[in-house]
This record gives sequence, C-alpha cells and structure tokens, in this order.
Amino acid sequence: METKTVELIASPREPHFVGDGFRVHNFIPSGYRMDMKRMDPFIMLDYNSTYSFPPSDKPKGVGVHPHRGFETVTIAYKGKVAHHDSSGGGGIIGEGDVQWMTAASGVLHKEYHEEEWSKKGGDFQMVQLWVNLPKKDKMSAPKYQAIKYDDIGRYDIEDNAGTIEVIAGGYKNTQGVASTFTPIHMLNAKLNKGGKAEFEYPAHYNTLLLVLEGNIVVNGTEEAPTDHLALMANDGEKFEIEATEDAVVLVLSGEPINEPIAAHGPFVMNTREELQEAFNDFNKGKFGYLED
Amino acid sequence: MIRTGLKTFLTSNFDIDEAEILSLIESCTVKEVRKNQFLLRENEHCKHTFFVEKGLLRQYSIDNKGKEHILSFAPENWFVTDRESAYFNQPSKYYIEALEDSTVAMIDEDFIQMLSDKIPNFTHFNNRLLHNHIRQLQNRINLLLSAVAEDRYLQFIATYPDILLRVPQTMIASYLGITPESLSRVRKELAQKNFKK
Repeated sequence: METKTVELIASPREPHFVGDGFRVHNFIPSGYRMDMKRMDPFIMLDYNSTYSFPPSDKPKGVGVHPHRGFETVTIAYKGKVAHHDSSGGGGIIGEGDVQWMTAASGVLHKEYHEEEWSKKGGDFQMVQLWVNLPKKDKMSAPKYQAIKYDDIGRYDIEDNAGTIEVIAGGYKNTQGVASTFTPIHMLNAKLNKGGKAEFEYPAHYNTLLLVLEGNIVVNGTEEAPTDHLALMANDGEKFEIEATEDAVVLVLSGEPINEPIAAHGPFVMNTREELQEAFNDFNKGKFGYLED
Repeated sequence: MIRTGLKTFLTSNFDIDEAEILSLIESCTVKEVRKNQFLLRENEHCKHTFFVEKGLLRQYSIDNKGKEHILSFAPENWFVTDRESAYFNQPSKYYIEALEDSTVAMIDEDFIQMLSDKIPNFTHFNNRLLHNHIRQLQNRINLLLSAVAEDRYLQFIATYPDILLRVPQTMIASYLGITPESLSRVRKELAQKNFKK
C-alpha cells in the first residue's frame, strides 16, 4: 500500500462575508487548484475561522436563498445557527452538531445566528460544505439529517492519542450516522498533543484535511498550522497525522462522481439547460416563498 | 488580462478569426469597477457604451424628491449607455453604477467605426442590436402603462433570468415601477400557484 502524499498546504484566503453573519475563507472552488472537478464530490467549502461576533439583538446571517442539485453540510464548532425553509421546516444547529441538508430538487431557506446566542455574541466557528449529488439524485425530494453531537460515533485511539468522531462513512469499527448518496468519509479527528492517527482511503478518492485547532504534521514531514487546509494527492492510500499540540482536524474523503458539472450561483447541475431551468423555476416560485 | 467577454461576444456573432478579434479589441479599454462605484453621474457627459464582461451595472435617475428610478440592469453581455448624452452631447440625467465588482469594456465611437470598417456585416448587426434595444424599450413602456404587477414581473424574469438573486428586492420593485410590498405579494402568489411541497 502506497502513502497518500500532501499535494499542497493552502493558507486561508482573505475572508469575505456571506450575508452579515458568516465571515468565511473560501477554499473550494475558487482558490488554489481546488476547483469543483478536482475536489469532486466536495464542490464548495467555506470556512468561518474563529471570529468573535459582538452581541446583537437582530440576529446576523444570510437571507432567503435557494439551492438545487447538491447537499449542504453545516458543521458548527462554535456558536449556534437557526434555519428556516419554505416548506415550513426549521431547526437549530448547536455547538458540535451537524446539519446535512439534501437540497436536491430545491430548497429555499435562510440561516441566522440563533436568537439567544446572538444576544450574547461570542466566538463563532463553522464549516459549510457543498456535496455534489449524482445526476440520478439531483432532482430527488429534499430532506434533512439533523445530527446532534451526542449521536456522532466515537472511536478512541489507543494510548490516549485522541478521539475520532465519525459524521459520515467510517473509521476502523465505528460508523457515521449520516447517510450519503455516494461514498464519503467525514470525520473530526480530535488529537491530544503528540497523538497520531492513521487514515486509509482509495487513491482516487479526493481527500483533504482542514485544521480547526492546533497544528499538525502530515506523514511526518508536512506541517499544517491552524486554519490551513492540506489537500492530499491521488497517489496512494495511507497517511498519518500527528498533533504537535492539541488539535481538531476535519477529515474529508470522497469518491469522485465524475459527471459533467454546470454551476452558477446556488445551483449545481449537469448541463446549462438544467441551470436555466433552475433559475426559471426559482423565479416562478417553484421553490416556494419565504419572508426575509 | 484575459478578455473573454467582448471577444466571445464578437466571435460568436461574426465569422472572423480569433487572432483578428484579439487585435481589434486591444484598442478598446477595459475598466475594473468596484461595487458601488460609478461609471456615469448626473450632469456628466457620457462618452462610452459600457459592455459588461463580468459583474452587474444599473442605470437609474433620481427625482427631485430624492427617489431612485431604475431604467435598466446590465449583467454579463449587456450594453448600457446614455444615448442622449453619448450621441446628442447632452449632460446626462442618469447614473450608471456597479452593483457588483465588475469588468467593463469601454466602447467609444471610434471603436464602433473601426469594427464597422474591419468586420463585414457589422453595421447590419449593430442596427439589429439597436432595433432590439428599441423593441425592448417599447415593450417596457407598454408594460409600465398597461400591465399588472404580475405581468411586469414575468417579463422581468424573462429578460433577466439570473438577477433576482443578485439585487435587493427594492431595486427590482423600482425597475418594475411597483412598491416592494406589491413585488412581495406577486412573488408569494406565484409561489402559491407553483410550489408543490
């Protein structure tokens, strides 16, 4: 079995605001070489590095917007988010929780800092990821998986090295609770200083590590500091990370879907015609209606 | 700089090779404008037709009560100008402002003349564009005089399929000559008709 080497270590780009509530560094698709094709099935990754929001009576966030053709995965590390959609659904994503929303044929929603949290303010740290859907599932019915922190599977690494929390896919004998349309592994590796963890994925799976806390060394040589992303090459299967101080690392690995991608704004389809149809359906209210 | 917008526009409309197009468009300046930056203000003289390679512009006037009236939006591949100012040398009544960071080709009369000289059929094509623009303006006047809010909205989304997500609702209402509340009602009613849970 070959070593999966580090292709690049990406530093966080200039942050920008999504609405007024999410101050994010975009890693996928607009930076470095990490476009949708290269990172497939991970087609967008916005990272809100730890940022302190002052108290606000009016919750900050992002207003009504649609999605079609993919899933949005929101991982709340610090802070709380409330969301509402045009079907009348809604909920709160608390610290440590994961919201896996299958937008598929279409969702119209808005996301804001949770009201009580907003009044107090504080540190906010979050990842929003878009996971592509295969052509056959792009127009399936929307659904949510609200995954509470306590329901996330845990694998304790020997010698008190740390814990792997499995959101989707698996790690050793621990399975993630999220169901996915294509093979995906999504884990939080929480490593103690000096702790090591090994990972093994097929070479062709697109794989990346996002360092949320602390510093790590990948394969004994490549340093990835806080808020940096390590893109793994498609050259081998196995790699190892070691925490040089207490660290939290989001590990993503997924099988590429390898279908044509036509993307514009909040729609990710296979053809231009399907994109036009998405805009047309949205304009005509087929995604429903939601007050800002 | 990579000049895709104007180059693609010309190559897709004329039978002309890419190298020649590239040499022609070299003489047309390109400007990067930031969001909220102006390309034209009231009382200035408009010297260009603006072709949007990337981004989004709007043309509007401000009445003597301070209210804005949006004449047009110009997303990618659209032209916008004040013809009265540019072709009749009058001070402009309008503002042209970037609503997003934009890349704009600054087309002047010399450039149009050069294209007319170098590209067979350009004059014919340019006339066609002009007629199309007048057609659109006539339709717009007719809708503003006679149509209910829903029909104005339906025409708007046919003209500008991807703008709804890019500009505030108040601006769309201004373009349609209706209140933001009416726009919200129209969109809600359409959703009630068309949304299947």
